[in-house]
Amino acid sequence: MFQPDALIEAFHLFFAPQVFYWLAIGIALGVGIGAIPGLTATTGVALMLPISFALPVAPALGLLIGLYKGAVYGGSISAISFGVPGTPGAAATVYDGYKLTQKGQGRKGLEMALYASVTGDSLSDIFTIFVAPAVAIVALAFGPTERFWLMALAIILIGALGGRHLAKGLISAAIGIFVATIGSDPIGGVSRMTFGLWWLMDGIHIIPLMIGIFAMPVMLAEAAKLLGERGIAKRARERISEAPWKTGAGLTFREYRQAWKEMAIGTSVGTFVGMLPGLGATVAAFLSYGVAKQVSPKKGIGTGKLEGVAACESANNATCGPTLIPLLAFGIPGSPVAALIGAGLMLHGATPSPRMFDLYPDIVYALFMILLVGNVFNLGIGRLFARLYAMLAQFPKPILIPLILMIATIGTYAFRGNPYDVIVMVVFGLLGFAMTVIDMPTAPLIISFLVTSMMEANLRRALLITGGSWGQALFGSPLAVGLIFTVIILVFFTVQYLKKGEQ
Amino acid sequence: MYNFRERLKSNQAIGVILSLVLIAFLIQLFLSPWVYRKLADGFHLGFFPILSVVLLLLLSLILTFDSHRKEKPADLMTLTFKSFLSVVLILGGCWFYFMVMSKIGFLIITPIFLLLPIYALGLKSWWKCITGAVVMTVIVYAIFSLLGLKLPPGILSGILPF
Repeated sequence: MFQPDALIEAFHLFFAPQVFYWLAIGIALGVGIGAIPGLTATTGVALMLPISFALPVAPALGLLIGLYKGAVYGGSISAISFGVPGTPGAAATVYDGYKLTQKGQGRKGLEMALYASVTGDSLSDIFTIFVAPAVAIVALAFGPTERFWLMALAIILIGALGGRHLAKGLISAAIGIFVATIGSDPIGGVSRMTFGLWWLMDGIHIIPLMIGIFAMPVMLAEAAKLLGERGIAKRARERISEAPWKTGAGLTFREYRQAWKEMAIGTSVGTFVGMLPGLGATVAAFLSYGVAKQVSPKKGIGTGKLEGVAACESANNATCGPTLIPLLAFGIPGSPVAALIGAGLMLHGATPSPRMFDLYPDIVYALFMILLVGNVFNLGIGRLFARLYAMLAQFPKPILIPLILMIATIGTYAFRGNPYDVIVMVVFGLLGFAMTVIDMPTAPLIISFLVTSMMEANLRRALLITGGSWGQALFGSPLAVGLIFTVIILVFFTVQYLKKGEQ
Repeated sequence: MYNFRERLKSNQAIGVILSLVLIAFLIQLFLSPWVYRKLADGFHLGFFPILSVVLLLLLSLILTFDSHRKEKPADLMTLTFKSFLSVVLILGGCWFYFMVMSKIGFLIITPIFLLLPIYALGLKSWWKCITGAVVMTVIVYAIFSLLGLKLPPGILSGILPF
């Protein structure tokens, strides 16, 4: 599996000045995006996707992965400084982080968030580097039948775990399957579901879809809110005077060391949660916070303790690397950002699949290097500019919203120079907004969109191999039957869990 | 009347509306000849599209009858007709902006299109609005040009360095 030649090629790809500065730009942008409440890593990566296409593959990955890592950490800046999480993943950080600020220890809190984020992220990246190739070897043993069921399992899991309401998550996933069938069939290229529009014959392109679903609804909701509520900008300016980083001592090495147990919990929980499709940084942070509180009741986590910040921040950043494992090993993105990074790879001709390690080992190794070095950049940029980012968290929304809408529009167009892409982006922007308003998660839509054509192709291959026998094609191997049972058991437990949660 | 309008915002109502739309669409699909076309591998072209619509229909029915059916999504409850209209107008504005930009050019039209929403969203100093709109336009143009992503030059074609 390991290919030394590809490693040398990966070094060539990675050790280029362009990679380093795009990685730095990605992290600098990401921390800023994370620090601004309302903007998430997903929005940022979606907006940068057209720009990444203009770059070679390694700098493009540097930009996207850097932005992702930066944004996950950046969410903690406004959580600690103002008690408003910059991203949902930083919501748990508010409990202890903001209390630290109120006690005059905001600077310590910010530094603990940074060090815990980098620690959790680095350790989970190392785990990813060792585990992803091993999982990929298992994936290679899968035939079309098993792959079909694995993809069905991923779609069901992502839909089921996407929100509080099982049916809504699954509807979102089914919309993704429906949208993926627009254009042409994945094997013969025969056109279907074009509604008489010739420009739909190539299908829905990933860029307008992703920008429409991930970037537009957030900004539309913010704009609608802002038009309804006046005086927000004024209130934000009033808060900046309370900013925490102006005074107070920094974090000592002893304080960092004292939180090792919470960081270990956060890293383990984050790594595990990150690997599973459909959960993500928010679940990881809350879960780790809960476990840390249970494990060390004497530490008083929840009352403004550095250990609380360490548990949450190491956990949310520890999801960054492992979330790529299903993508690299099976070609199945386990989270919205993994889907976007997968789309970035597709735009560069490296379509994620179970043969990713075989076909594009150089790109995968370069991606691993970017994951690791990204942490060093995250540490440096976060350490130097935390104060600036805390100020950026107050960036006036009246300027930010039109700016992002403009970038979304021109980014969609500039990518292929196709005006119809703008129509698609606008339509999916409205769909994404409608889904947000009715509390339907959007991530399952994108992930099932990406997986459907592979799923259809695998089912058809299985049918060809078995001479058209549906029974053999669907249930012809013990592994496939095992996967079906896994689907049933997971759905059963998810329903039980959701019911228990309601009670 | 008020109660009926409230109930229209429940999960059940969403499920009913979705189901009706999907039934109509499913009938339309079954009436389309391409659905029955057999491909070289013996697979029907319409299999996956129909499967996705049937799945959607089943899930919409579950949404109509499950234990969450009476719940009303919080954001839908607070959504007014005015704010929905503003969202539609913003999206329409994005499309209109793009159409005008492709004719007149990015650098001329973008500051004008940015200026209006910046003002409408609450920044009331015209000086700040104009500065913000111009600076953002120039920065975005520079970044896209440096990356080799061409933005429509419009009537400035031949004058601009990039």
